[in-house]
Amino acid sequence: MLELDGIYKSYYRQRVLEDVSFSIPSGQIVGLLGPNGAGKTTLIRIINQIIEPDKGHVSFHGKMMTSEHLKNIGYLPEERGLYKIMTVEAHALFLGQLRGMAKKDVQKQLDYWLEKFGIQSWRKKRIEELSKGMAQKVQFICTVLHDPDLLILDEPFSGFDPINVDLIREELKEFRAKGKTIILSTHNMKSVEEICDRAILLHEGKKIMEGQIMDVRSEHKEGLFSITFSGNMIAFATALWAGYEIVSKEVINDTTFTVHLKMRGENEFNDLLSTLIPAVKIISAQEVLPSMEDVFMKKINAGKEVENA
Amino acid sequence: MRKIHLIAMRELKERAKSRSFLLMAALGPLFVLGLIYALFSLGGSEKQHWNVLIMDKTEIMDNKIASKKDPRFTFHFINEFVEYDQFAELEQFQEYDLAVLINEKIISNKQVIVSYRELPSENIQQRLVYHIERRFEEIMVKEFTDLEVSKFREIKQSMSFSFKNTYDPKNEISYKAAWVGYVFGIGILLFVFLFGMTILRGVANEKSNRVVEVLLASVSPRQLLTGKVIGIGITALLQFVLWTTVIAVGLYVFRQTFFPDLLDPTLLVEQMSQDVAQQALDEFALTARSYNDFVDLVYRDIHFTNMLIFFVLFFLGGYFFYGSFFAMIGAAMGSESDGQQYIIPISIVLILSLLSGYYVIYHPETMLAEILGYLPFTSPVIMMIELSKGFSEGTVWQIYLALFILFLSSIILFGVAGRIYKNGILQFGHRLRFGMFLRWLKKT
Repeated sequence: MLELDGIYKSYYRQRVLEDVSFSIPSGQIVGLLGPNGAGKTTLIRIINQIIEPDKGHVSFHGKMMTSEHLKNIGYLPEERGLYKIMTVEAHALFLGQLRGMAKKDVQKQLDYWLEKFGIQSWRKKRIEELSKGMAQKVQFICTVLHDPDLLILDEPFSGFDPINVDLIREELKEFRAKGKTIILSTHNMKSVEEICDRAILLHEGKKIMEGQIMDVRSEHKEGLFSITFSGNMIAFATALWAGYEIVSKEVINDTTFTVHLKMRGENEFNDLLSTLIPAVKIISAQEVLPSMEDVFMKKINAGKEVENA
Repeated sequence: MRKIHLIAMRELKERAKSRSFLLMAALGPLFVLGLIYALFSLGGSEKQHWNVLIMDKTEIMDNKIASKKDPRFTFHFINEFVEYDQFAELEQFQEYDLAVLINEKIISNKQVIVSYRELPSENIQQRLVYHIERRFEEIMVKEFTDLEVSKFREIKQSMSFSFKNTYDPKNEISYKAAWVGYVFGIGILLFVFLFGMTILRGVANEKSNRVVEVLLASVSPRQLLTGKVIGIGITALLQFVLWTTVIAVGLYVFRQTFFPDLLDPTLLVEQMSQDVAQQALDEFALTARSYNDFVDLVYRDIHFTNMLIFFVLFFLGGYFFYGSFFAMIGAAMGSESDGQQYIIPISIVLILSLLSGYYVIYHPETMLAEILGYLPFTSPVIMMIELSKGFSEGTVWQIYLALFILFLSSIILFGVAGRIYKNGILQFGHRLRFGMFLRWLKKT
C-alpha cells in the first residue's frame, strides 16, 4: 500500500535520512521507532508531502505519490494544535473541507464520532474551553474524519489519560480490522508491543531494523526462561546443578518463587522441565522474550558501539 | 484554488468576528468624523447673529438697509458718532457687536469704518459690506440718475477678474490638495501596518500553537500563505468599506443637519429680496466658499471616486508588498516573542515613506520626488498626493506605471516570502538571526 524507496534527506549538509526503504501492506499497524533525532518526523513529513526528499520516492497504492493522495491520508503530528477561538464544529468543517470532503459529509462524520466518543455537547464549544486531553480527542477526530486509508500518528497517546489511551488503542484496532493502515510513531514501547504488527527502527537517519513484532522479539531472545514454582528454593537450586545459570529470583511468599535462568550447554526447555519436576511443583514456565524496549535499547547501543569502535 | 479560498474565508471569519476588528470598525470612523466635525466647527464657530450699530450722522441711509432682512444681522441706527472707547466701554453700547461709522462725506470719499469687539469672519464681513453697498447703490441711483433701482441693476454689469499664476495657470500646485492626498496616503500606510502586523501575528501564532503542521498535511505552504494573506487583505478591505460608509453617511448628516448652509448659497438668497436673487447668488457663492477651508476641502475639492479607487489599488499593492516582509518574519520566528526586533526596520521604512510624502508636497519638482513616486516602498503615499493634485494632460501614465511597478515588486517579493515561509515555518525553538533569512532563501 505504501512504499518508500531509497529516501535521502539533508538539511544544510547534515544528513537526516539515508537510503530509507520499506513497504507497508494494507491492514497493518506499523510502529515507526527510533530515538530523538533519528529522522522519524522528517520521514513522516516526506510521506505527507510537507517536505520533499532529496532523493528517492514514495508510492501509494502502487502509484507515485502526489498531493491528490493526501485526501486518503490522516495525519496527527506530534506537535499538534488547534485554533483556540474556533469551535469544534468549525474546526472539523475547516480541516475536513481541506481534505476534500463536502460540508454535509463532514457534518455526518462529525455526528458519528462525537456520538461514538459521547461528546456531542462539545460541538459548539471553543477549543480554548476544552482541557488538553479533550482537545487531543478533537484532534484525533479531525484526523480520521475523512475516513483515510492511511493513518499516520506521531505520538498519539501523549496528553491522554490511561482511559483515553485505551480508547484510542481500541479505535486503532478497529481501523486495522477495516483494512486501514496505520503508522504509529511513538516512544511508548508497551503500546507498540500491544497493538503493532510490525516495527521499523530508525537510528541516525538509517533503517536499522524492520520486521513483525514477534519475529523481532524472537530474534533478540537470549535463552532466558521464567519458572514459577512452589516448594523449597534449595531443592530447586540443587536440582539445577551446573547445567543452568540463575539470573534472578523473586520471592512471592514463603513457599512460592519466580526464578529467571539461562541454560548452559546443549540443554533445552524440555530438559529443564524434566530436571525440575521431581524437585518442586511447577506453577508456570515459559521462555522470556525481550520487550520491544529491550530490543530498542540493544539495537541503539549496538549502533553506538559500532560508531565508537 | 478551493483550498486557498477555504483558508482565506477562515481568516476572514476569525478576524471579522474579533473584538479588535469590531472596535476598529466602530471607533475608527467615529474618531475621523469627530475630527472632521471639530474642524468644521472651528471654521463655523463664530457668532450666528450680529447686532450692528450704524452711526449715520447725516442720516443719509434714512434708517434703512435692505428690503428684506438678513437673519445674521440686526441693524440699529443712530445719528451721531461714538468714539471707540465709548463704544467699547459704555453700558448702552454693550449689546452691539459691530459699529459702522458712515463718513459724513461718504458720497465723495466712500469711507466706511467698522469697529468690532470680535473679528467677524470673512463671510460676515462680505455680507455686511454687501448690505451697506447695496443701500448706497440705491441712494446713489436715486441721487444721480433718473433710473429706477431695478432698471439700474438690470444694466449694471459686474466684471469678473481672475488672477492666474503664469507658471501654473490651472492652479494645479495646491498644497491643500496635496495634503488631502497625503492624508489618504497615511491611511494606506496605517492599514498596511495594522494588517501587516495581523499577518505576522497570525503566522507566528499558527506556528507557535503547532496547528501549521496539521494544515501543511493538506495544503502546500504557498497555498497556506496565499490564503492567509488574501483573507487578511479582504478583512482590511471590509474594514475600509465600513470606514468609508460610516464616514460618508456622517458627512452627509453633517451637511444636512449641523451645517445646512455650508455650500448652498440659495439658502441665503431665499432670505433676501427676490430682485437681487441672481446677483446675490453669484456673490454668495463666493462667501459660501470662504466659509471654512476645511469644509471646501471635504465637500468640494476631494474627488472621492478617483481617490477611493486608487486608495484601494495602492493599498492592495502596498499590502502585498509590505505584507510579504511581515509574513517572512512571522514564518522565521523561533517562538512568538522571537523576531520582534525585525519589525523595527519595517516600521522605520514605513515612517520614512510617510516623511517622503511630506518632502514631495513641498519639493514636487525635484528628481528625488519623481523617483520616490515609482519606488514601491513610497509610491502608495506619493502617488496619492500626485493624484489629489491632479495629473496634467499626458502624464496620467505615471500613476499606472507606479501601480505596475508596485504590483510587479509585490509579486516578486511575495515569491521570496513564500520560499522563506516554506523553509522557516516548520523550524521551531531557534533564535532568529538575519543569516537564517538568507539560508532559507537559497534552499529549495
